[in-house]
Amino acid sequence: MEKRLSLYICTGCGIGESIDTDALCNVAKSEFNISTCKQHNFLCSKEGCELINRDISENNPDSVIIGACSPRVHKSTFVFDKSIIVERINLREQVAWCSKPNDEDTQMMAEDYLRMGIVKSQNILPSSPFIEDNLSSDILVIGGGITGITAAIEGAKAGYKILLVEKEQQAGGWAKNLFKQLPQTPSCRELEEPSIYRKIDELKQLSNIELLTSATINEISGQPGCFNVQVSVSNEIKKYKVASIVMATGWKPYDVSGIRVFGYGKFKDVITNIEMEEMAREGKIRRPSDNKVVNSVLFIQCAGSRDPEHLPYCSSFCCSATLKQAKYIRDFNKDSLVYVVYKDIRAPGFHENFYKEIQSDSNIFFTKGEVINISEEGKSLNIEISDTLIGENIQVQADLVVLATGMTPSNSEELNLSYRLGKGLPSIKYDFPDSHFICFPYETRRTGIYAAGTLRAPSDMTACSEDARGAMLKAIQCLEAVKRGEAVHPRSGDQSYPKLYLDRCTDCKRCTEECPFGSYDETEKGTPLLNLNRCRRCGICLGACPERIIDFDDFSINSISSVIKAVNIPDEFG
Amino acid sequence: MKIIKPDIAFINEINRDTGFSLKSCMQCGTCSVVCDLSPKNKPFPRKEMFWASWGLKEKLMGDPDIWLCHQCGDCTTYCPRGVKPGDVLSSIRKICYYHYAKPKFLGTILKKPAYLPFVFAVPVLFLLLVLFFAGTYIIPEGDINYSTFLPHKYLNTSFSVLLLFVLWGVILSVRSFWNALDKHSSGIDKKSNLFKISISVIKEILIHENFKKCTTQKFRYPAHFLIFWGFMLLILTTILAIVNVLFFEYPFSIWHPFKVLGNIAGIMFLAGCCLVIFQRITNRKNNSIYTYTDWMFLISILIISISGFLTEFARLGNWRLAYHIYFFHLIFTWILIIYLPYTKFSHIIYRTLATIHARYTGR
Repeated sequence: MEKRLSLYICTGCGIGESIDTDALCNVAKSEFNISTCKQHNFLCSKEGCELINRDISENNPDSVIIGACSPRVHKSTFVFDKSIIVERINLREQVAWCSKPNDEDTQMMAEDYLRMGIVKSQNILPSSPFIEDNLSSDILVIGGGITGITAAIEGAKAGYKILLVEKEQQAGGWAKNLFKQLPQTPSCRELEEPSIYRKIDELKQLSNIELLTSATINEISGQPGCFNVQVSVSNEIKKYKVASIVMATGWKPYDVSGIRVFGYGKFKDVITNIEMEEMAREGKIRRPSDNKVVNSVLFIQCAGSRDPEHLPYCSSFCCSATLKQAKYIRDFNKDSLVYVVYKDIRAPGFHENFYKEIQSDSNIFFTKGEVINISEEGKSLNIEISDTLIGENIQVQADLVVLATGMTPSNSEELNLSYRLGKGLPSIKYDFPDSHFICFPYETRRTGIYAAGTLRAPSDMTACSEDARGAMLKAIQCLEAVKRGEAVHPRSGDQSYPKLYLDRCTDCKRCTEECPFGSYDETEKGTPLLNLNRCRRCGICLGACPERIIDFDDFSINSISSVIKAVNIPDEFG
Repeated sequence: MKIIKPDIAFINEINRDTGFSLKSCMQCGTCSVVCDLSPKNKPFPRKEMFWASWGLKEKLMGDPDIWLCHQCGDCTTYCPRGVKPGDVLSSIRKICYYHYAKPKFLGTILKKPAYLPFVFAVPVLFLLLVLFFAGTYIIPEGDINYSTFLPHKYLNTSFSVLLLFVLWGVILSVRSFWNALDKHSSGIDKKSNLFKISISVIKEILIHENFKKCTTQKFRYPAHFLIFWGFMLLILTTILAIVNVLFFEYPFSIWHPFKVLGNIAGIMFLAGCCLVIFQRITNRKNNSIYTYTDWMFLISILIISISGFLTEFARLGNWRLAYHIYFFHLIFTWILIIYLPYTKFSHIIYRTLATIHARYTGR
């Protein structure tokens, strides 16, 4: 059926002075047979809009084409009935304001833009959002560490019902294994009691948080707005329906026994920072070999981190943790000596103040350097260090060597997604399911599931708490967008969605493979099954489909190719 | 490879003195970059900051570089972490005076204000003893003539005895200092013409070549220049005067060439002192810190120059208190001279030697 189009050309803002608008109307009339073609010198004014509205009520067109300014301005001015397609042709910024006025080429350009706009509106359909039935508003938080607890508290405070799943018997995560916590309150110079217990108390007081401990995720199926979650709690399966998920399953320490030079496992007095923290919590810092008081300790930073053969990245927390443990040792034994061998001291955020504080202790010694050998000499360890700050190799004796081990992310397959593309979250680098933090903060490549804390990237507790808030906000955004039938970031607000003409589908499954977000599962017969709320409207499936059966209402392969064909190519190029 | 053992007492000593920011150094090297006196190869004060924060006292005691520093404060001004490398080096130099002091207890006595009475007591008792032997402990009548109060032969003899004692201390200190410098630079080829180097270094010191390079505290060059040359000329005048009184008449007239020279030198000396004191109080640009030992040296030379002039005026004006002033002036002069190896004054020895040694090893 031929569409009824009406065209309005604005001659204000210099358009009329630069382009022959009468000639444009002639193009519309002669080439496209458009009868309603009006000019106005101030189209965005009250009178201009009234002119359009009057025509709409009289002629009931399918599409209104406005040849005026950029579609980025006056977005709310040219809004009409939802069934009418509004196409904006940018005559002002793209033609009148940037080309030579009243020139033959300028006129040709304006006419081409007009043709493209008309053809586009002939080939698209008005779109309306698709909203699933029975949407949930609850949020699932996986992992009850500092990140998960903070996320749950913040989500609950924002008024959402939170389901918090922790696999251990108690919530708290690594944070509850700490003896002391790095300073978080100004002036950030004194160690603090771990804040996790306060947070756990706060969590328990909030009525809209359901905490499941000793619980693991059995299966997650569905899509944002209606994830079906099966939690296994002490051999019992509980079923929940949630809208979005914050994934905060944390980290594992890197296994340093593979780094031969440190002799971990070979020497009893070479321990990791995890073991050091444990000793401090138990209140006795002693040598594992003979249980004697420790008089000198050497910390080796980047034990595995920033090493292409082990962890190629910086684990972020180990420098600050070492500063903290150096303080433990100095507090336990006031005559003790502490040496720190580092690649670079990185004390993120306000930990810089704590670093300065620790540095000012006469008995703590810092040097850049590489440990090249550790040997036992009598009852103490001999550590040889090269590439030091004084340009010569040095040798230091210490009772105890502490390896500042790095962070590796926990396995995201604990999610147990029933997606066609796998159980876990895809990672781009170093196994962390992180995305580009500036453009896609907290996003993973599974829509509606947001990674936070040390699972997302190595971070300290301050950064984890920040992450928790950010990821919780994203989870809330997601469930609200789903309720309105809109796409989430980055095409937030987009209400159109891909439609599959499955009659012509050959079940080749290229769309299911190529969707970066795992939107496509498949039916028992092997036909692609689109979970629309997982879709980010990137359009990759449009290009993937060899049969070209995937289209948006307002954006399709046909509409784009027609628009390109509508350009009038001059003879000399033809 | 030698096992490193930090000397905590040494670190704490620097910490208690002007180098309390020492440990905050993060070894960025800005200090060495902004310093105009630092050599290109193994520049100071960056490595000294590291050695000091690790408590490597032995290394620093034999390090000539701490003496190449003129403490102009460029490094302290530009340090991004608020560390004061200039003051740390000054602190290490102070430790050096006491480290090499022979006998050691004199070093300790001059370090702390608590021993100040003792510092005064020694020259006072000594002078009283001399007066006792000369039999002139009663204030003479008539026109003021200091030689009637304290005859020159007693004064010069007693002073020479003390000087010999000082010289003995200096020789012992210099020997162990030079050995430490040698040990520190072991393995480095040394140049052969030590004499020629010494001459050129002394020439450099006389014209204050390196002092001119300081940029943040420009006043230091003229101030030190005035004090240095004032002092040198005063020593020269004193020697000439001593020689003179052996053969000629005493006292000199005010227009006697020696007297004129002495007065000009005295004015230079006093002006230099005042300039330094004024700048120490008013110049807060680089926040340098001055402690007891810094002030003690400066104040004692200020008092010497003022009491010297007063002594002269008292004689010319026949003041009743002339002999008291003279006595007071002598006490301070002796304090300056006999304690030379144990106070900041000893930099005149250590700095010269260290500069020569540095040049000797090609720095």
